[in-house]
Amino acid sequence: MPHPQHLVNILTGIKGAMEMKDATPLAKIIKKAERPLLVIGPRALEVEIEGRPFIEYLVDIAKAANIPICATAHTKKKLLELGMTPESTYDVVEIVNALKDAEWKGVKGEGCHDFVLFGGIRTDLGNQALSTLKHFAPHLKTMTLCKYYYPNANFSLPNYKKEEEWKALLEGLVAGLK
Amino acid sequence: MKGKRKKEEKEKIIRAEDEWEPIGHTPMPHVTDLRNWDRRLLETYKPFYAPFCDLCCLCTYGKCDLTGTNRGACGIDISAQQGRIVTLACCMGMSAHAGHAAHIIDYLIEKHGEDYPIDLGDQVNVECPNIRTVLGLKPKTLRDLKTAVQYAAEQLVHVVSSTHTGQEGDAVDYESKALHISMLDHVCMEAADVAQIIGFKFPTSVADTPLVDMGWGSIDRKKPVILVVGHNPASSSEIIDYLRNKGLEDKVEVAGICCTALETTRYSNKAKVVGPLSRQLFFVRAGIADVIVADEQCIRTDLTDEASKVGSVVIASSDKACRGLEEVSDKPTDEVVKAMVDKGEHCLILDHEKAAEVAVEAALKIAPKRKKEEPIDEKKAIELAKACAACGSCTQVCPNLLPVGPAIQKLAEGDAEPFKQVFENCIGCGKCEEACPHGVPIFKLMQAVASWDTWKCRVGRGPVMDTEIRKVGAPIVLGTIPGVIALVGCSNFPNEIDEIAEMVDEFARRKYIVVLTGCSAMTVGMRKDKEGKTIYEKYPGDFDAGGVVNIGSCVSNAHITGAAMKIANIFANLPLRANYEVIADYVLNRVGAVGVAWGAMSQKAASIATGCNRLGIPVVLGPHSAKYRRLYLSRKEEGDWTVMDGRKKELVDTEEPSPEHLAIVTESKERAMVMIAKLCIRKNDTQPGRQIKLNHYIDLYKKFFGTLPDDLHHFVRTERDIPMFFKKEVKQFLQEKGWKPKPVLSLPTLIGTYETEVPVEATIR
Repeated sequence: MPHPQHLVNILTGIKGAMEMKDATPLAKIIKKAERPLLVIGPRALEVEIEGRPFIEYLVDIAKAANIPICATAHTKKKLLELGMTPESTYDVVEIVNALKDAEWKGVKGEGCHDFVLFGGIRTDLGNQALSTLKHFAPHLKTMTLCKYYYPNANFSLPNYKKEEEWKALLEGLVAGLK
Repeated sequence: MKGKRKKEEKEKIIRAEDEWEPIGHTPMPHVTDLRNWDRRLLETYKPFYAPFCDLCCLCTYGKCDLTGTNRGACGIDISAQQGRIVTLACCMGMSAHAGHAAHIIDYLIEKHGEDYPIDLGDQVNVECPNIRTVLGLKPKTLRDLKTAVQYAAEQLVHVVSSTHTGQEGDAVDYESKALHISMLDHVCMEAADVAQIIGFKFPTSVADTPLVDMGWGSIDRKKPVILVVGHNPASSSEIIDYLRNKGLEDKVEVAGICCTALETTRYSNKAKVVGPLSRQLFFVRAGIADVIVADEQCIRTDLTDEASKVGSVVIASSDKACRGLEEVSDKPTDEVVKAMVDKGEHCLILDHEKAAEVAVEAALKIAPKRKKEEPIDEKKAIELAKACAACGSCTQVCPNLLPVGPAIQKLAEGDAEPFKQVFENCIGCGKCEEACPHGVPIFKLMQAVASWDTWKCRVGRGPVMDTEIRKVGAPIVLGTIPGVIALVGCSNFPNEIDEIAEMVDEFARRKYIVVLTGCSAMTVGMRKDKEGKTIYEKYPGDFDAGGVVNIGSCVSNAHITGAAMKIANIFANLPLRANYEVIADYVLNRVGAVGVAWGAMSQKAASIATGCNRLGIPVVLGPHSAKYRRLYLSRKEEGDWTVMDGRKKELVDTEEPSPEHLAIVTESKERAMVMIAKLCIRKNDTQPGRQIKLNHYIDLYKKFFGTLPDDLHHFVRTERDIPMFFKKEVKQFLQEKGWKPKPVLSLPTLIGTYETEVPVEATIR
C-alpha cells in the first residue's frame, strides 16, 4: 500500500522477514555463515511432508552443511533415534536467551553463532522467539524452515499451501548445501 | 512515602500494639520498599523480553517504532516498554481481584456487618498468611479484610501512574512495580476468598470435600436451567438460597462455567459444573440454558448476542460488565420477568437478591416455552460438513493452530474422529465459524460430535490446613516430598484436557503434592482412566504426598502462596508479620514449590504468576504464553549462584542453579514435566531429599529425552546426592564432565548478598 508522508500515523511495527522462495540463494546465505546453528522444535516430530517427517529433512540439512543442532522440547530422543546427536538441549527460550549474548561461546564452545536456522517451533512461540532476536541480537541473522511465513525472522519461507513446493525447496536446499 | 506520620498511620492500621509477632521491616510496603529484593532476584533471573508489538501507541507522540535500538519520542526503549506493558497487565489482573474482593466484602458486610469474625475452622489458625506477611495485620473481621484491599488499591494507583508517559523509564524498575502489584494481587485474592468462605460458609478445615457432577451431559435439560458465568458468587449463592427457600432446589438446574461454577459448588453440591472457560461459547450456543446470570471476569463480551440467537436471556449482575443493558434493579420483579419471557430482553440487575429472584422466576416461565434443540445426529453432521470447500480459512484463524479444515473434510467423508479431536483441543473462541465463507456451522458440528460423557470435580476446599503443614513442612523443606506442583488458572491451551490430566497423574503418582485452582481444577477432572475414574476419584484430596487438591477458584490461588508462607511460619517458626523479604527468601531457597500455568490467557494469570515469582516460586508456562512478552530466566553456566551461608555468615558460591528460572515457557508437556521436576530442586535439600528429586528428574528426562540430563552435573553437590538406581551411569557421566563436589549448605539465603535492612540473623529461628 502507498504510505502517507507522516509514517508515524500508520506504522505497522513489523520489520518483515525477506521471503525466500528459491533454495539457491538460501543455500548461499547459509554457506556464508561462520558459525551457523539449527534449532529444532517439537512440531518437526508431528509434521510430515508427503509421508516423511519434517525432522528428517532438518537432519539432512544439518548433515549437508555440518551445522550443529540445538534440540528443544523433547526432540532430542527422536534425533538420537535418527543417529544424530544434538550438540545441545534447551528450551527454545533458553537457547534464544543465550543467543542474545554476543559473548556466548555457542553450543560448541567456539563463539556465538552468527546465523540461526529454526524448524519445528510452534508459529506463535517461534515468532516471539524471533522477536527477541530481532530486537536484542543484532550480531546474528535468523532464518525459518517451516512452511509458514515468520515476519520476525530475517529470512523466511513463504506460507506454502502446496506441500510439494515446500518439499522441493527443502530438497533443493539440501542439494545446494552439499 | 516515608515519614513519621505515615509510620504512625500504618501502626494504627496494623494494630501495632497487638503483640502476636514482632513487626518486621516492611509493614504495608510502599512501591519501592521491596525494590532491593526485586533487583536482587532479577540479577539472577533477568527479564527476558519477546516483544509482541514493536510499537508504542499509548500517546499522541506516536506511533513510535521501538525496533532494536530505536527509542520512542518520549525516550523509552523496547525493553522498558515491555516492562511497562507487563506492569499494566499485572495491574489489570490485580485490579480484577481487588474489584472482586472489594465488592464481595461490601456485599457480605451488608449481610453480616463489619465485625463479622474470621473463623476458618479448628484446623486453620494462620487465617491470612499473605495479609499477615505483607501488611503485618492479623485480620479478625470483614472490616480488616476491607482494610487490606483498600491499602492494595492505594498502591495500585501509584503503580498505574508510573506507566504514564514520562514516568518510569527503566525495565527493571517496571518489573519491580509489576512484582509489587502482583504480590498485592495475592493479598486481594486472599481477602476475597476468606470473606467468601466465612460469609457463605464454604468448606474449610476439611480435605475430603464432596465430588460434584461435571459436563453438560450431567444437566437435566427437561428442567429449567440457570447458567452462572464468571467469578463472583454473590448472585449464584442468592439463586441457591431462593431455590432452597421456595423448595425448588430439585426442580431447577443451576450450572456454572469458569470460577463461578467452582464457587457455586462450594455453596451447594447439587450445582453442576459445565466446565472451564473454554466451554463457554459451546454451551451458550447449545441453548441448554434458559437464563444466564453473568457476574464478572472471563465472560464473553458477545454473550447477549449469542444468547439471543438460541432464545436464552441474560442477567448481567456486576458493575464491571454492564454490557449496555438497561438497569432494572428497582423495577418490580413481575415486570422484569415479563419483559424477559415475552420479549427475550436481557437486563442489568445490581441487587443480587433481586437478580436471583428474577433469574429463577424467569427460568421457570421461559423453560416450558422453549423448544430446546437436540444436538444434530451424525448423518446430519456429515451432510452439513459437505458444505466445506477446503479453503482453509478456519484453520488459518485458529489461535491454537488446530487443523479445523482437514477435520471437517474428514467428517464430510464420514470420519468424525479428527473432528472430535479438534473439539477436545478447542478453546471455543469461535473464530473458525466466523471466518468460514460457506456458512459451515462449525460449532454445531462440534456439539454434535462432542462426547456426552460426564465427569467428577472435587469441590474446592480453600486454605491448606495448619495441621497438614505441620505434617508435610519438614519433608517438603528437606526434600523428601519432592515438591508441591500447583497447576493454576485458565486451561486455554492445545490438548488441554489430556495434557493437564497427564501432568497431574504423573506427579501425583510420583508422590509430589499436586494442587489445582480455577479452570485447571475443572479440566483435570475431564479425563477418565481405563477403569472409568477421574483424577479426583483416583487420588485423595489431602495436602500430602500423592494428594490431588482442588484448592478452589482463581481467588483461591492466594492459599497456594499462603501455604508456602505457612511452611516458613509453622514449620520453620519464622514470623510472618511484615516480614516479606525473609519469607520470600525462605521460599525461594527452601520450599520446592512450582507453579504451572499451562493455559494462561488472562492478565490475572500474569499477576498471579508474577506474585508467585516475588515470593520465590518459579512458574512454568505453556508455549503460547510467550505472548506475555516477559520471562525471568537465568543462565545456569554464566550466572552468579552465590548465596550467604546463614549459619557461618559467609558468602558461598554454590555453583548450583537452583531454582534455575523464575518464569519460563516450555514447548511441550514432556519438556514441561522435566522442567517442573528440575525447578523443585532447592539449595536447602538434604542429601536424601536431593536423591529423591534427582531420581525423578533423571527418570523423566530419560523417559522423554532418552539420556541422562545434559545439565545433571550442575545439580549433584556430592556423590551422596546421586540416586542409588542411577549411581553407576551418573558417576560415569560426572567423570566425563570433569565434575567436582560442591558446597552443601543447610541455611542458604540471599539476605546479606544485597543492600537490605534485614539482618542475616532474621533468617534463623
